[in-house]
Amino acid sequence: MHPVRAETLRQLRQSVARIDPGLHGLDSRPPLALGIDAVDAVLGGGFAYGALHELAPAMPVDAAAATGFALALAARCKGHVLWLQSDFGRRENGALYGPGLDLFGLSLDRLIILTATHGDGVLWAMEEALRSRAVGLVVGEMPDERVADDGTAARRLAFTARDAGGLGLLLRPRPALAPSAAATRWQVAGAPGTPDAFGGLGRTTFALSLTKNRRGSCGCWLIAWDHHERAFQPALSVGVAAAADDRSDRPPLSRVG
Amino acid sequence: MWLRRLTTDRIARRSAASADAPLAVVANIDQALRITALNDAAARLRLSVGMALADARAMYPALPVAQADPEADARLLAAIAEWCDRYTPLVGLSPPDGLLLDITGCVHLFHGETALCRDLVRRFAMQGFSVRVAVADTVGSAWGVARYGNDVVVVPGGQREALAPLPLAALRLASGTIDALAQVGLKRVADVLDKPRAPLAARFGVEFLRCLDRALGREDESIMPRLPIPAAIAERRFPEPIAREDDVLGTIEQIAHDLRELLERRGEGARLIQLALFRADGQVHRLEIGTAAPLRDPARIRRLFTDRLAALGEACDPGFGYDMVRLSALVTERTDPPQTGFACSDAEDDAELAHLVDRLGARFGLRRVTRLEPQDTHIPEFAVMAVPAHAPRAPHAPTEQADYHHDSLAPPRPVRLFERPEPVDVTALVPDGPPLRFRWRHVLHEVARAEGPERIAMEWWHDAEGAPLTRDYFRVEDHGGMRAWLYREGLYGSEVARPRWFLHGLFA
Repeated sequence: MHPVRAETLRQLRQSVARIDPGLHGLDSRPPLALGIDAVDAVLGGGFAYGALHELAPAMPVDAAAATGFALALAARCKGHVLWLQSDFGRRENGALYGPGLDLFGLSLDRLIILTATHGDGVLWAMEEALRSRAVGLVVGEMPDERVADDGTAARRLAFTARDAGGLGLLLRPRPALAPSAAATRWQVAGAPGTPDAFGGLGRTTFALSLTKNRRGSCGCWLIAWDHHERAFQPALSVGVAAAADDRSDRPPLSRVG
Repeated sequence: MWLRRLTTDRIARRSAASADAPLAVVANIDQALRITALNDAAARLRLSVGMALADARAMYPALPVAQADPEADARLLAAIAEWCDRYTPLVGLSPPDGLLLDITGCVHLFHGETALCRDLVRRFAMQGFSVRVAVADTVGSAWGVARYGNDVVVVPGGQREALAPLPLAALRLASGTIDALAQVGLKRVADVLDKPRAPLAARFGVEFLRCLDRALGREDESIMPRLPIPAAIAERRFPEPIAREDDVLGTIEQIAHDLRELLERRGEGARLIQLALFRADGQVHRLEIGTAAPLRDPARIRRLFTDRLAALGEACDPGFGYDMVRLSALVTERTDPPQTGFACSDAEDDAELAHLVDRLGARFGLRRVTRLEPQDTHIPEFAVMAVPAHAPRAPHAPTEQADYHHDSLAPPRPVRLFERPEPVDVTALVPDGPPLRFRWRHVLHEVARAEGPERIAMEWWHDAEGAPLTRDYFRVEDHGGMRAWLYREGLYGSEVARPRWFLHGLFA
């Protein structure tokens, strides 16, 4: 196509999308890529905008790992991030800690935190935030008491996200069994990182398992987060054979006699 | 405005006694029960304030008596002042039983001063209060004429003539001064009006002359308003009270249009908007909305109040309906209309974000929408503070990056922090070895790797008693990959005999 015509078309598409954002597929932001080819290929480029994605810890002890994965995605996305939690979730799982977030890669002036009184407030605020398109990423922590009423809430959020084109992450307290309208469903667990040269803690490592994917197949991966570069890296699982020592090729001399 | 029988009216409103029955209110003064207030029927019986109850009972054995309650009177006066807000926003209290209203500029809404006074008296009579109203140029003359005079409206500039026949108590003097003046033979205001001032000041004090000057208007006196004066006000009155929420919200949008014009003329936008709903039966509901950026747009104001009313739910009960709705801009800030350009999405995004923050604040309360700001302290739990998202950014942010080693592979600070560190059972080598295993929330974790200790001592410049103990922080990872931030509280041997362990945070 003629380059000028293509450019004109693109501009027209953008202006139409601004007038009526309800038309799907016109105002699409590029998906939020993780940076690891294997995962991005399965996802179709990355976390798709205009959709709701669900994260859950594989075991209750991995709750902080799920938070960490959500924060890593937030560090990679552009624009402001709105984090929604409830009073109960704050007491039970701990509040977000500023210096830790900063060191994780998410700068504090991009983050806005809302502490609602109940889970209903979290869902309402998530819907409003997705609809307003003012923030780049909305993360909502669903506390326990809403577990019984999963399906409708998630479906409403998915529809709102699709209409408005925002990216929503729903953090559940445990993996849900019922089918949902989310675009992808993840289970996150912490994994021991490769120790560094001195035997200390290695990089933050996540064991991701994609259990539902609308655009492709599922899979399990082990990835590590580099908080200096704000990038994911593939991680080797611990348990590889120990590196070979440097030994000489001759056996040691032994005294005879 | 003088509420003549405030105390007895308060009691009479609650009780079923008829208006003709006498009622006296007594309090314990100087070890005797004395009458502090009377109603009209009791005054007709020639009882007076200050008379001992024993004497009164001697005259009328069956006199109904009630206990004095000054706090209840003060509360009632405050509630009446709230209600009088519908006439003017400048309402001041003149305790114990008076109110001062500054009606400059409000009179045209009521078709004249006399009509306003009549309306006031009528409404109060409907509520069961007897009141005397006087309108004058100065506070002092209005006070005196209401209590001691007969006029209702004093012509502008006519304070002298109005005050002349009144007794000296009309000047709000201390009773000692009044007695001293009476001894000299000065009983009416006319007597002191033309006397030379220097001897009066020398004999009775400067305060006396100041009261006189204030009443005559030679010296300025202003009313201390109960509530802060808003920068801009717009209101609507209804002959038929409205109760439906849709009507209220529609009215808010219309009033917001008027408010916008007022603000545009001044070049300002509102940061704090108050909605006052005056119920038909006297109560006033006030709702406030704070915004992050100066706001003028009526549709957005309506949306914010929709969220706030939804959050209040049943607490805001219209009763019989609202007969007046008023929007006031309490805090305003200068705002210029944004320069729209060809490709200016940044300003729009900022405005959208500010509006979203406003809406969330309206729904949940402004304190729950927060931003984190780093603080300049090494104690972990205070290293960051949650500030409301509205508050302006601190001009500089202290950087503590220099303290942490840059080349660590794992972040040195956890992602989640518990407000109260959770106690854990830890097996560790004494005196200061890293933990080997720990039990948290009934689950046993075996430590595979640990890094530390990072010693954080509490602030020694605080008092020595109850000084918090030194903490040794460890970053531990168990075999499953879970990472935690544990600390030992207290140095073994030097501070405590058995240090305790806590889990303060979790790493990702």
